[in-house]
Amino acid sequence: MPKVTIDGKEIEVAPGTSVIQAAEQAGVRVPRFCYHDDLPVDGNCRMCMVEIEKFPKLQIACGTPVTDGMVVKTQVTSEKAKEAQKNTLEFLLVNHPIDCPVCDQAGECYLQDQYMDNGLHDSRTVLEEKIHKRKVVDIGPILLDAERCVVCSRCIRYEREVTKTNLLEFVNRGGSTQISTYNGGPITHEYAGNLVDVCPVGALLSKDFRFKMRVWFLKETDSICPGCSTGCNITIDHRDGEAYRIRPRRNVEVNKSWICDPGRDLYKIIGTGRVTTAHRAGGVVAAQSELLDEVVSKLQAAGANSAFLATPRASNEDAWAFKKLALAVGGRLDFRVGNPQDKVAVRKDQILQREDRNPNTQGLLNLGLGVTGVDALLADCKAGKVQVLVLQDGGMLRDPAVAEAAKQVPYVVAIATHQGPSLAAAHAVIPAAVWAETDGTFTNFDQRVQRFKRAFDAPGDAKPRWEIALDLLTRLGQPINAGTAADLFVEMAVETKAYADLTHRSLGPKGRAAAQASA
Amino acid sequence: MASSVITVNRDTRPSYYPIFYGMWLTLRNMLETLFVKGRSATIEYPEVKRNISTRYRGVHLLTAREDGTPKCVACYMCATVCPAECIYIEAGERPEKKIEKYPTRFEIDLLRCVYCGFCVDACPEEAILMSRENDLVGTSRAELVIDRENLMHRGKLAEVGAGYRPVDHDVRRPVRIAALERLKTEHGIVPGMPNRS
Repeated sequence: MPKVTIDGKEIEVAPGTSVIQAAEQAGVRVPRFCYHDDLPVDGNCRMCMVEIEKFPKLQIACGTPVTDGMVVKTQVTSEKAKEAQKNTLEFLLVNHPIDCPVCDQAGECYLQDQYMDNGLHDSRTVLEEKIHKRKVVDIGPILLDAERCVVCSRCIRYEREVTKTNLLEFVNRGGSTQISTYNGGPITHEYAGNLVDVCPVGALLSKDFRFKMRVWFLKETDSICPGCSTGCNITIDHRDGEAYRIRPRRNVEVNKSWICDPGRDLYKIIGTGRVTTAHRAGGVVAAQSELLDEVVSKLQAAGANSAFLATPRASNEDAWAFKKLALAVGGRLDFRVGNPQDKVAVRKDQILQREDRNPNTQGLLNLGLGVTGVDALLADCKAGKVQVLVLQDGGMLRDPAVAEAAKQVPYVVAIATHQGPSLAAAHAVIPAAVWAETDGTFTNFDQRVQRFKRAFDAPGDAKPRWEIALDLLTRLGQPINAGTAADLFVEMAVETKAYADLTHRSLGPKGRAAAQASA
Repeated sequence: MASSVITVNRDTRPSYYPIFYGMWLTLRNMLETLFVKGRSATIEYPEVKRNISTRYRGVHLLTAREDGTPKCVACYMCATVCPAECIYIEAGERPEKKIEKYPTRFEIDLLRCVYCGFCVDACPEEAILMSRENDLVGTSRAELVIDRENLMHRGKLAEVGAGYRPVDHDVRRPVRIAALERLKTEHGIVPGMPNRS
């Protein structure tokens, strides 16, 4: 393990580490444009210049691997390095337009940040002599502004190495160099949104987020993508209870720095078409506590003639509370409608997406929710053996098999997040929160337990599913002593071998693997 | 001890003196207000108005481009800097690629506004200014949340005149000119692109 001294601080790093990574470990962020943690090193922007002892000239920190005994001085201690970075920045800004007021990147722009850190020079370029390039070029889900580009080639390397589509390339030479798609055609793959994140400046911007909000107003909440069983780590950007976008959060072991575009669009489901009040069949609004009392009395009357269908969209906490509810009543219990478990680990493409479009199928398997077998359960419903059917997700009624079975059940309870015509089949609808509105954990295809946090409150009377299940249990006279999702996780871990040594806190921001043997 | 003793020159006039002096002052002011021109402390508002500073911070206004569209590019700088959070903006797309962005909605809640003038200072486009209008009246709260069209066509502007606004559009220009001058005289460098002939 080579030892390296960075700004007087000696640290030990893994062999093959570059100076820029070693500096990061020592707590120094060397400014960069072309270097990206999950892309191959290119070394073209010349921004990360550092002084290394016994090297006659300054070196680029991203392209220089550390050797044992190396002594590095970054911009923090070396005037020479600082001067070099300042000069590089000035060159990068020579043809950069003064677009900051209208540029969506403002506030998270590397050029702005580094100008504020070490530039603050007055421009020596005469405004009229700046080279003009193409602006507002529509390339599918993205808008290209070649003028703002710093020619770092991050997007080109992303296209080459990650999606392997090679849709972007440099054209022209010298000061007129700019990026372009072939013949100005659109970006066609499902991972275009990452180009926006990869771009350090405002050259590639999202059409969806365009002009919606300035980024400094947004609050970030760590979360997990609920779009498929991969469980990509994401950040939800929101303001005043409204989600504005989803960005990937780096986790080398799951999604690196990427997410897919369908996942990126999921913020849209949070604010539209939500169920906000409890209601009976035909949309008659009812007081939530009255309705819950009614549900409880129906469940008590039905006893073993009740059936519970859990949803793999729910968190582990939701599912466990739901299982407890089913056990307390003594009814049949199963899950996985329309998504057989054998698809959990099947890839949809070669990058991130998986066939199982539910985030927590593996978690429900670990909790042992597959008790009755969903076909047997639905067959019982059809045969009229079931008095009360509790659906953990109202959306399940869209499934023809479930809708068919629900018709034969005298009392259907749907815990629903979104409105829809199929909800009319339910006799009691209880509003539920989506994943962004509660704390919880998902277990991904790889048995990795990952935590997501509450970003904002649920609309109206909607409550997290686990809270609804606990409420029903309390009304049944079998309360579980848990006030938060973290408490509930502890209760769950006591009884579930897979999560025995885990708590919300110990999961950390990147999640941990569950014990392989499921309970 | 002696050094802390001070001698006070007490008023030795009789105690009824200040009473009559006060009465005389009141009487004199009354007579002067009634009969001497220009000595009155009051004006006949609203027929007569006081002169107010050209930097007065009154009701805001939005400036327009030559074609009548707002100069504002919806950069949210004013909304960001506003301590009262009274500015609400929604941005839209303009067909001109050089401008790109403009406000589809621009509303100022004049009841929340504290008239600090920060929005004028923050504006990079000289799009938001303040007028000297200070007698705006409304009969409801909603009436005093003024929108983009209203801000662009403040009818009273000709009458009251513009108030607080940036005096020099590019305050950094003198600094920059000085820096260029120094480069030229001290180092013989004239920045800019080489002449292409």
